[in-house]
Amino acid sequence: MKHLPAAAAAAAAALLLAGCGTTEHASADSSPSVSPTGSATTAGPVTLTDATGATVRLDHPATRVVGTEWNVVEDLLTLGVAPVGVADVKGYKAWDTAVPLTNAPKDIGTRGEPSTDTIAALSPDLVVATTDLSAAVVKQLRKAAPVLVVRSADAADQIGLMMKDLDLIAQATGTTAKAGTVRQAFEAKLAAGKQALASAGRTGAKVAPADGYVVSNQVSVRPYTSGSLIGAVNERLGLRNAWTIKGDKDYGLATTDVEGLTGLGDIQFTYIANDTDGDPFAGALAKNAVWKSLPFVKDGHVHRLPDGIWMFGGPGSMEAYVDAVVDALTK
Amino acid sequence: MAATGTTAPARDRTAPAPAASRTGAVAATAALVALLAALAVLDITQGTAAVGAGEVWKALTGHADQSDASVVIASRLPRMTAGVLVGVALGSAGAALQAVSRNVLAAPDTLAVNAGSYLALGVLTVTGASVPLLASSGVAFAGGLAAAAVVLGLSGLGAGTVRLVLAGSALALGLGSLTDALLLLFPERTNGLYQWSQGSISQNGFGGVGQMAPVILVGLAGLLLVARRVDALSLGDDAARGLGVPVRATRITVVVLTALLSAAAVTLAGPIGFVGLCAPALVRPLGRRFRALLRARAALPVAGLTGAALVLGSDVLLRALVSAQSAVAVPTGVVTSVVGALFLVAMAFRARESGAPAEPDRMRIPSRAAFWSTVAVLTAVLVGVLIAAVLFGDTGLLLGDVTNWALGRAGQGVTFVLDTRVPRVLAALLVGAALALAGTFVQAVTRNPLAEPGILGVSGGAGLGAVLLVTTVPAAGAWSIAGAAFAGASAAAVLVFGLAARGGFQQNRLVLVGVGVSAAATALISLVIVLTDPFNATKALTWLSGSTYGRTAPDLLPVAVVLLVATAVAVARRRELDLVSLDEDTPRLLGLGLARSRLAFLALGVLLSATAAAAAGTIGFVGLVAPHAARALVGRRHARVIPVAMLLGAVLVCAADLLGRTVIAPAQLGAGLMTAVVGTPYFVRLLLRTRR
Repeated sequence: MKHLPAAAAAAAAALLLAGCGTTEHASADSSPSVSPTGSATTAGPVTLTDATGATVRLDHPATRVVGTEWNVVEDLLTLGVAPVGVADVKGYKAWDTAVPLTNAPKDIGTRGEPSTDTIAALSPDLVVATTDLSAAVVKQLRKAAPVLVVRSADAADQIGLMMKDLDLIAQATGTTAKAGTVRQAFEAKLAAGKQALASAGRTGAKVAPADGYVVSNQVSVRPYTSGSLIGAVNERLGLRNAWTIKGDKDYGLATTDVEGLTGLGDIQFTYIANDTDGDPFAGALAKNAVWKSLPFVKDGHVHRLPDGIWMFGGPGSMEAYVDAVVDALTK
Repeated sequence: MAATGTTAPARDRTAPAPAASRTGAVAATAALVALLAALAVLDITQGTAAVGAGEVWKALTGHADQSDASVVIASRLPRMTAGVLVGVALGSAGAALQAVSRNVLAAPDTLAVNAGSYLALGVLTVTGASVPLLASSGVAFAGGLAAAAVVLGLSGLGAGTVRLVLAGSALALGLGSLTDALLLLFPERTNGLYQWSQGSISQNGFGGVGQMAPVILVGLAGLLLVARRVDALSLGDDAARGLGVPVRATRITVVVLTALLSAAAVTLAGPIGFVGLCAPALVRPLGRRFRALLRARAALPVAGLTGAALVLGSDVLLRALVSAQSAVAVPTGVVTSVVGALFLVAMAFRARESGAPAEPDRMRIPSRAAFWSTVAVLTAVLVGVLIAAVLFGDTGLLLGDVTNWALGRAGQGVTFVLDTRVPRVLAALLVGAALALAGTFVQAVTRNPLAEPGILGVSGGAGLGAVLLVTTVPAAGAWSIAGAAFAGASAAAVLVFGLAARGGFQQNRLVLVGVGVSAAATALISLVIVLTDPFNATKALTWLSGSTYGRTAPDLLPVAVVLLVATAVAVARRRELDLVSLDEDTPRLLGLGLARSRLAFLALGVLLSATAAAAAGTIGFVGLVAPHAARALVGRRHARVIPVAMLLGAVLVCAADLLGRTVIAPAQLGAGLMTAVVGTPYFVRLLLRTRR
């Protein structure tokens, strides 16, 4: 205890000495200007209005882009723009394999609290965020780089919003031509999927999409109602949503338990799981008497969709979803 | 001391004769069983499936179709049984713990048994390992027992009960924060864990109930076997020893058994709050009427039955109040906490003050030189932490950068980093000092080392106000959030202090009411999150865990202003604080308006904690640790305590914030979580050092 003052003083002095100097040189250009690479589109200034009503001005279409949510990261990749910064890279690689990362972006931290320091250090020429990021942080980020905020989800029109977000990001990155192709491909995929389901006599089939989780010995089921993104895709495929539960106003999700499945009747049950988390429907529920008595379980109308389809993603994930659901229902 | 009434009830001269008492006790128990049976029947008619009373009857008599029958057998009956088992386990565990510690606040919650079990299960979940229920229960038992062992080891078996609850609350806070950190770091992996963390008795078939029932029965039987010794302990350690009862061994046995019971309950239904604290509290007045219920052999099972009635009653109430669908989303534990909290407040209101003199803090009075060297060391440490906090982060900086920035000569990158980092560092500094000062005020006024804005529900009220605003007006600005936090804190404070004031701020009542309001506020926050924004728990948790994320300079203005005023008042009125914290009579003899000055200090404390919560969310622990540590370091005089506590608080929060931002960068943890993680070991060391 007696040596504590001396030690503290020494530590402080050492810190002061070691901490002197600067990290930046007098007149070094800290952000090397990157010329827009190989884009055939106009390289002129871009002006956009984002979901918060803010005007975003760019001198030229952005190439060094950071994404704070996985759906915008997916959009960027779909548009051929490899993001320089991505929130929770490891999580993205596990949960969104439908549109894999083409580069090795810098991890900017969690999706909820991405690190502003790291983002600024990347000196991006655009940050794409969603309305899930707090307004205060968006305000701060605007000092480091232009920030384009897109709405995260809207149960009233998920597909419209998904395309609107894609278009906004495309305009900001000078890839509107690519966005047009993506839209066409998506529509074509929907049409083909609808056709395939019709040929198999599945038009109008009632589908209950869900995921679920087990904690201890309790099973929670999360219904994707008609207000969810895949619910909307299902409807475009000519399927009907079997859930009568009301979802939340953004993501169109609800919560129920195994008992809550008894009212579904004879339907097709599709669910997404992940090998890292286990499969509650094939695992914990397999021996559950209520589950076993459900008509769709007895008839074998339970389909696990492939891993890595991000249910809240963009056109890329949704195309993978269309393939998955068509495959499951026409088998 | 203050928070610890004795469980030994006042001798009631009008008590009926023993024979009548026994009949009464039997009648009361029978009434309780009847109530429980009625609740159980009601509970199995409720649920998401269209299986009502008629179908249940058919199912039980074997006439229902297979689907309805399976709902009753695989879902309703297991849930009801789980509710009963969990309630019995927690209720009797609470009663036993309260008896051996002679402390009305001892319970699986306050002795960190629940928190230990919960953390152990959280770690298990995060590792992704899929283990059988009995094994995970074993893990939970190990966690709960370890936590209880630490608490009892620290507090010293048979030593003051204040230390017991202090150590328990501190550890529970630290462990809970670790679990919260896991929730934040692995949001996908722990999906659903948050909801479960509030306690839910739903079951996937009879498997879990079947495996846990024997464990709970063994625990209960064990408690009944040592019941006579427990009774002896209630007479006091010396008296018990005089009767030939092994005090230490009895305590250890009871703690192991209660850890077993709590772990089984946590494994089955998650940590269902408050039942262990509340059920014995409800039985106590019965014991006053019917003396037979004073004996542990009768009191433990009755407390268990009461616990079961609480759990099932909450479940029934919940499913009756909201739609079946919403009821799934709302964990039963939220309701037990709200119901339990209301009961506790009512109980506290009726509880008689034990009148026992406060156990004095036996602390040395250090010299003037020791005081000044403490201040010097803390200042040096604070400066060091501040420098480190400004320099370290995802982007490392050097002092030259900071100089350049201060002179406006820095480049764009450095300017941005410091523009966002400096307000965060300042927020940590101000919030730390403000919480420490608030804690000093509250502890002085209540003469209670356990009392701090967090425990008294003031911080919870602030959090509830802010969360309500954030969920209803998502675009709410920082100023409106500050206003809402203040409104919530004021409401909680008016409620707690208003209720406590009617007895002239009697100490047990204050803390009991405070703990009740605090638990209710926490439960209501969970309720708001689960009902309005169930899939964005990360956001809410991030805010609630106390974070400096996204703070800008204007956000800090309220807390800075209030801190300045409060410091000035504290320095000017330091002698009054000394007197107020001394005892009940001295200030009166000196002609001081005790109630008035108490009220003024409390108001300042509330203002400080509300503005601190608005600036950085709810950060616990600082208000508890900083003043306590300051007293241990420099004695009780407020002229010394105030600066030392404020320095300690600032160091603690700044260091926590620094660690939270850097250790797992670029991901980050809230300062509140880190405060608890840093604060717990420090507090543990403090307890060890002051061990008598």
